[in-house]
Amino acid sequence: MKNKHIAIVTLLSILLFSLLTCLAIAGADSGNTNEGGEITCIIADSTGDWGYPSPHGHYPRGPGYVRMSLVFDTLVWKDKQGFVPALATDWEYIEDENAYLFHLREGVTWHDGEKFTADDVAFTFNYVKEHPSWWVDLKSLKQAEILDEYTVKIYLEERYAPFLNSDAGGLAILPKHVWQDVEDPAEFKEPESLIGTGPFKLVDYSKTHGTYLYEANKDYYLGKTNIDNLKFVKISEEMASTALMRNEVFATAIPPETVAEVRENGFVIINQSGNWNAKLMINHEKEPMSSKEFRHALAYAINRTELVEIAQRGHAIQGSPGLLSPTSPYYNPEIINYEYDPERAKDILESMGYGHNGEILELELITAPRMGFERVAEIIARQLEAVGIKVNIRSLESKTLDYRVMNQQFDLAISGHGGIGGDPAILNKVILGNFGYSANYTKNDTLNQLLEAHLHEMDQEKRQAIVREIQGVYAEELPALTLYYPTWYWGHDGSVDIYYTMGGIASGIPIPLNKLAFMEYKGNAEVPAATEAPVPGFGLLISILALTGVAYLVIRRRND
Amino acid sequence: MHINYWTELTRNNFGKIGLAMLCLVLFIALFAPFLARYDPGEPSHAIFMSPSFEHWLGTNDIGQDIWSRLLCGAKNSLLVALGVGVFTTLLSTVIGASAALVGGLYDRIVMRLIDALIVIPAFIVIILVAAYVLPNVWTLIFLISILTWQGGARLVRAQTLSLKERMSVYAARTFGANKRYIVIRHIIPNLSSILFAVFIHSATRGVFMEAGLAFLGIADISTVSWGLMMHHALRFYYLDVWKWWLIPTGLALSVTIMAFVFIGHALETAMDPRLRVMEQEDWQ
Repeated sequence: MKNKHIAIVTLLSILLFSLLTCLAIAGADSGNTNEGGEITCIIADSTGDWGYPSPHGHYPRGPGYVRMSLVFDTLVWKDKQGFVPALATDWEYIEDENAYLFHLREGVTWHDGEKFTADDVAFTFNYVKEHPSWWVDLKSLKQAEILDEYTVKIYLEERYAPFLNSDAGGLAILPKHVWQDVEDPAEFKEPESLIGTGPFKLVDYSKTHGTYLYEANKDYYLGKTNIDNLKFVKISEEMASTALMRNEVFATAIPPETVAEVRENGFVIINQSGNWNAKLMINHEKEPMSSKEFRHALAYAINRTELVEIAQRGHAIQGSPGLLSPTSPYYNPEIINYEYDPERAKDILESMGYGHNGEILELELITAPRMGFERVAEIIARQLEAVGIKVNIRSLESKTLDYRVMNQQFDLAISGHGGIGGDPAILNKVILGNFGYSANYTKNDTLNQLLEAHLHEMDQEKRQAIVREIQGVYAEELPALTLYYPTWYWGHDGSVDIYYTMGGIASGIPIPLNKLAFMEYKGNAEVPAATEAPVPGFGLLISILALTGVAYLVIRRRND
Repeated sequence: MHINYWTELTRNNFGKIGLAMLCLVLFIALFAPFLARYDPGEPSHAIFMSPSFEHWLGTNDIGQDIWSRLLCGAKNSLLVALGVGVFTTLLSTVIGASAALVGGLYDRIVMRLIDALIVIPAFIVIILVAAYVLPNVWTLIFLISILTWQGGARLVRAQTLSLKERMSVYAARTFGANKRYIVIRHIIPNLSSILFAVFIHSATRGVFMEAGLAFLGIADISTVSWGLMMHHALRFYYLDVWKWWLIPTGLALSVTIMAFVFIGHALETAMDPRLRVMEQEDWQ
């Protein structure tokens, strides 16, 4: 009798446990969910980890900045039309003093409840000048002056045209009470390092899994976000469309070939091109690439039309040797275009003693297995081999590629970057700077002077003229060759109207994940239903039932 | 033990099938340039074409003819099989046999070295090395061989130790034969069955590892390799192309690996006296 009782209790416990486990698994597997009244917005990303989302901690790439921008705010921000107030409600440029006056928003609190004031803004400007991040260096800053609790005046050393877009619009404002004693901002990764004023707070970050989980900041000054949680998960490029169509994610970049199918399934497609460029990096510090003529020969030998039509399957715009795309208001169409001319390339190479009739040159072309770069490398290798340059391709992990380019441990590399649809200040970064995607080219004085001049030209028309001239000189010097501007497609389920920011997020990030889009959430009506109960839960239920049966039989046998 | 490998192979059904499959792959590898209808590396504007008369297995993401690539991929696989087979067998023989023949401290050191090296996961080491060295076919052959010879060396050592104690060797020594004569006339001929087994086993592993590494992207991406084809095909598995891109490539790889495995199995049956007895009993 006692054994029978034990058997019944055991059976019931196991059944209850199995039921709860199945429910838990079912809940966990339904990606885009409305769990217990909480709405979690899941966004897929093929890379996953973009670094610790503090202003100095994230990786020096656009997606890293986007993850940080959810937690930290800037003085001004941009939406699809242009500049909008953020921590500053209004601002003006005082020409006589070469200073910007910012009136700050009152009633804003940091995530820890402390009051946001002009003191924080002045501190941030001074702190970042001392500890520049890869995104904002504040070289132009002279002094930050607090006029009252909610007014601050930023004096500049000299006239600096990109200040509003790149500095005021890109500098994440830090809480003074947290950061004032921090010596090494990149290594400061305590929980309080993520106290911002932004619409989201970071709840969890996994470097290993490449996931980020944010919860909404209920006290956000622009009102409440209508989603409760925002999650970034790592999903491969190939899986992205399927995950979207199965409602496992909310929004994701999708391969061009799946656009029609995704649209037919009722999802919204947005696309943009011209704000990101894939380019052939050339190590101009090394022989023979240090010769301008040799770089010209490379440009004539590469058929960029073929790269667009074959490697990108038509989903791109052909690259301009001047870097900026035809979609940019600063684009200069009257520069040397290096139309595909292998004969001319051969002539140049032969005059230098290379090619089929001279010394066979062997170069290493490094790239990364993302965004179809490997295929681009394969086609370029064949095109260069046709003019007598033997190319060895090496595919490296993305961050290794950036590292090797930065340290000039390469001959040729295929990489790319965004930001070219925003303020032309990006040219200074990607031509003069030393990043994994920049040319690091400072040899031409005219180019250096022009790059410096456009930054200080406050007249828009004159600045445009200088930037056009820069493209001409850059194309002539050719420290890197822009190959194409890919067209990117994002699909989303329509419940959050994500959009591409005018000129890109901050100083030009072409990713449609502007935090302001989450302020316009349309409510619960369009939240997709949770996916069907997944197979693993069902399988587990069967196994546990089988185990229960076995346990029952064993107990019964012992009872007998 | 004197074995006529050809007779043994053709007597065994597995051997016959394996041999036929290997001959087919060998034929394809040798005559690929004549059988292929297009340059396997030539990109074209005919992207993602379905199988047709022009392109028997369609085209891939950059318009390359999949049938031509499939044929040319055989050469790469067989080259790796042969390279790894020969190099590993050579290493195993030199190290294993010398340990057995020299004996003493040298033997003990070599055996402990083998014990230490055998636990190193070859796959992981190759992935790490590929970060620094261009993983072309010759580098892969070298790396796979120097990371996987230990098992073969143990086998060769054990067999040599047993051969050393044979009556024939004692007799030869009694009649004044020197070491060189004994090694050449008595040890090496009797090792041949083991060496053949080591070769087949290494070749199989070579094909499998090369394909596996290429599938993970560890390969010279300008080579035509089945593993690399599968690596690229998987990137587009959401399209229909996998039917004529992924499946034939997977099948070709399976046929090659199965050919080696079947031959290895047939030879094992022929060489193992216990299996031979069972086989003869089965026949009776």
